[in-house]
Amino acid sequence: MAKTLPKRSVVIVGGGLTAGLVARQLTAQNIDVLVLERGVDHRHGAESRLPTQRDELRWSTRQGLMQDWSVQPYSLRHNRRDPSYPIRWMSAFLPGEGMGGAANHWNGQSWRWSEYDPAIRTRYESRYGKAFIPANMPLRDWGVSYAQMEPYHDLFEKLFGVAGQAGNLRGTIQPGGNPFEGPRSNEYPQKPLEITEAGSIFKSAAQSLGFKPFPGPAANSTGAYTNPDGQKLGQCQYCGHCERFICEAQAKGTPEVLLYPMLLQRKSFEIRLRAHVLGVNYDAQAKRATGVRYVDLVTGKEYVQPADVVVLGAFTMTNTRLLLLDGIGKPYDPGTQTGVVGRNFCYQTLSGVDVFFKDRWINPFLASGGTTTVIDEFNNDNFDHSGLGFLGGGSIGASVTNGRPIASRAVPAGTPRWGTEWKAANAAWYAHAFNVWAQGSCYPDRENFLDLDHAYTDAYGQPLLRMTFDFRDNEVKMSHWVTQKIGAIAKAMRPDIMGSVEGLKPSFDTRVYQTTHVTGGTPMGADPAHSVVSPHLQHWDAQNLFVVGASVYPHNSGFNPTGPLAALALRLGDDLISYAKRPRML
Amino acid sequence: MSIEDPGKSPRREFLKQAAALAGAAAVAGTVAAVESRAAGAPAETAPFEGYEFFGPDEAAFVEALVNVMCPADQYTPNGVDCGLATFFDRQLGGAFGQGKGRYLRGPWNQGPPEMGLQSPLTPAQFFKVGLNAANEVSMQRHSKPFEQLSPAQANLLLHDIQDEHVNTDSVSLGSWFNSLVYPLFVQACFSDPMYGGNYNKVFWKMLGYPGLPATHALDMVQYRGKPYPQAGNPKSILDFS
Repeated sequence: MAKTLPKRSVVIVGGGLTAGLVARQLTAQNIDVLVLERGVDHRHGAESRLPTQRDELRWSTRQGLMQDWSVQPYSLRHNRRDPSYPIRWMSAFLPGEGMGGAANHWNGQSWRWSEYDPAIRTRYESRYGKAFIPANMPLRDWGVSYAQMEPYHDLFEKLFGVAGQAGNLRGTIQPGGNPFEGPRSNEYPQKPLEITEAGSIFKSAAQSLGFKPFPGPAANSTGAYTNPDGQKLGQCQYCGHCERFICEAQAKGTPEVLLYPMLLQRKSFEIRLRAHVLGVNYDAQAKRATGVRYVDLVTGKEYVQPADVVVLGAFTMTNTRLLLLDGIGKPYDPGTQTGVVGRNFCYQTLSGVDVFFKDRWINPFLASGGTTTVIDEFNNDNFDHSGLGFLGGGSIGASVTNGRPIASRAVPAGTPRWGTEWKAANAAWYAHAFNVWAQGSCYPDRENFLDLDHAYTDAYGQPLLRMTFDFRDNEVKMSHWVTQKIGAIAKAMRPDIMGSVEGLKPSFDTRVYQTTHVTGGTPMGADPAHSVVSPHLQHWDAQNLFVVGASVYPHNSGFNPTGPLAALALRLGDDLISYAKRPRML
Repeated sequence: MSIEDPGKSPRREFLKQAAALAGAAAVAGTVAAVESRAAGAPAETAPFEGYEFFGPDEAAFVEALVNVMCPADQYTPNGVDCGLATFFDRQLGGAFGQGKGRYLRGPWNQGPPEMGLQSPLTPAQFFKVGLNAANEVSMQRHSKPFEQLSPAQANLLLHDIQDEHVNTDSVSLGSWFNSLVYPLFVQACFSDPMYGGNYNKVFWKMLGYPGLPATHALDMVQYRGKPYPQAGNPKSILDFS
């Protein structure tokens, strides 16, 4: 029998980035916050110390910091009519585990999305007419505006020491920045990172075609940095062990460097580690969450933790799953187009072209996770979609983020996979190649969604979360078109060898890492018929339950998703201060 | 000078005796592999420290496999001398081989390849199943186990397996090779030498990967677009431990 613990004011499920940001706002006002996190504190382990931090096999190949798939995997089917399969070792995306969550092992690319992204449906309809968005694409406005999010973007960038080049300062376009950027109230708090050789080659080629390349914004610290909370970052050492790793130099903006050490000093803050949440207790009559149930992984004992307010701040997938497990909100049904929980599940559409230069030294090991050089001309609706037959687009860029040799060795097509010829190709091209890539948007499709899979259970006997997902016609057409643009830029670089110019094709392949940017499942919006949470991230069917993270995105853009979800988390923190004073629908 | 003749390793002698006594063809390959390593091998080869997972037959197969995939050439010594077989042994005998982090609950159904391997076997079990099946194919084709094939025959067989041209009733050898054997081969070559492969950082030297600890804030500017001077002299975790 589970023991019931004393009630707490705000209980947050998942101790990652969003929980840290929400708690920062709340505990500054002495509001009681308890975070439940199933993982550990990584700060003093082999993962955070030299020389053991620099171990590609342990942390990257064997996923030493990631969610344990033997405990809780996801299942997948590409279409509703297909059987599902549990993904027994997921490589396509990598949720993290432990205090700081996936934001410990991210590479720090910290975008604001386009000014029109939160009003994406309005944008397309006003530019191309009401009939332009296909019926199978439930593209929705978020119910919040870029202007409302801007102060929180600004705050997040200051807290995480984001390095970058402003492109739009209070409405004035700035040379060297992204001319498609939404208006910023301030410059980036740190100057851009050093450009890579790959970035330099890309920059010249892009400029020769009339595009405007700029340094991608990154929470990799250009220099020693102290944030407004007095928390410090060291200088980035371009060590090439950024994404999939914890930065032992504390030079990457992460929750375990900038948020949790500070929060642990605050009296109103508590984090319980090795606490695996099994569900949210929901009073359907009263339309309230009464608390959460969790297992203490040290003792194996189960507890009920009552709360005034419950916040789901776990990874995209877990936020959705917890609502489905306890029947909070109506599950989405793609057949009838009714229900909401699990809808608007999106990924991203990645493609790229390898380029090889005999006489240029790319030195891929001289890199940080955020050293990107990017153009935004072909992203989202930054270009005219009339007659193209698809919506969306992608940011296009060049970067090397690492030269880790197990995974980062491009060789020309046709190279044998072993033997002397294979060695010769690796020796010849390792330091002389890079990839020109597109990070493409992924707009929602009626047939891409999340629900429970009762055929398979996790280590606690609960059903797995099932993805029904594939790259649908819109994304395939978009990727083909954007990849032709990559090809044109790659050609302008005049490489000795150029890889094939092909867009992403179905089917979604779980064996290949693409991006950890899975979004949706608990979309936000102004209309309860199409959203799980309100524009204030408040659950429509439980006024004291809030959901934060990429699970609230109604679509996925052609940028890394961390910036907006961080801004939304800080805003939620402020909203909860107001809610704590006077509980109500916000 | 050590008391024991370095050319006469106890293991080699044991295997020779075993082969003579039993007439066991299976160990002959291992003997050959060990002989070839000991005879005239350059000083910079991985010391043999015993197998914790492979039996002699399995060791013979794996040693032949890594020597075909990594022949001695101008880039590296042969696979055994680079420690690649030791890497396979340690990984399959350890947490990876036992399926750490892999979801191994049923029910079991074969799905499209994009779903990844759908097998109740641990990687260690799957490795053995595939090894036996590959040996069966070798016997059918050449009336010899894999380790007794000529390098050209063995190479051709591996290519056919990679391309899914050979299958047995019990196991998809293509999936065995492409999802288990080949990734282990790449990891053996390029992971930190503390795991037993990449002996003497030979594959890192081949690439020009400088290894650790990589505090490159100044290098980033100084060597942008230029050869990196330390690329030929990489450092590993052991160098800093």
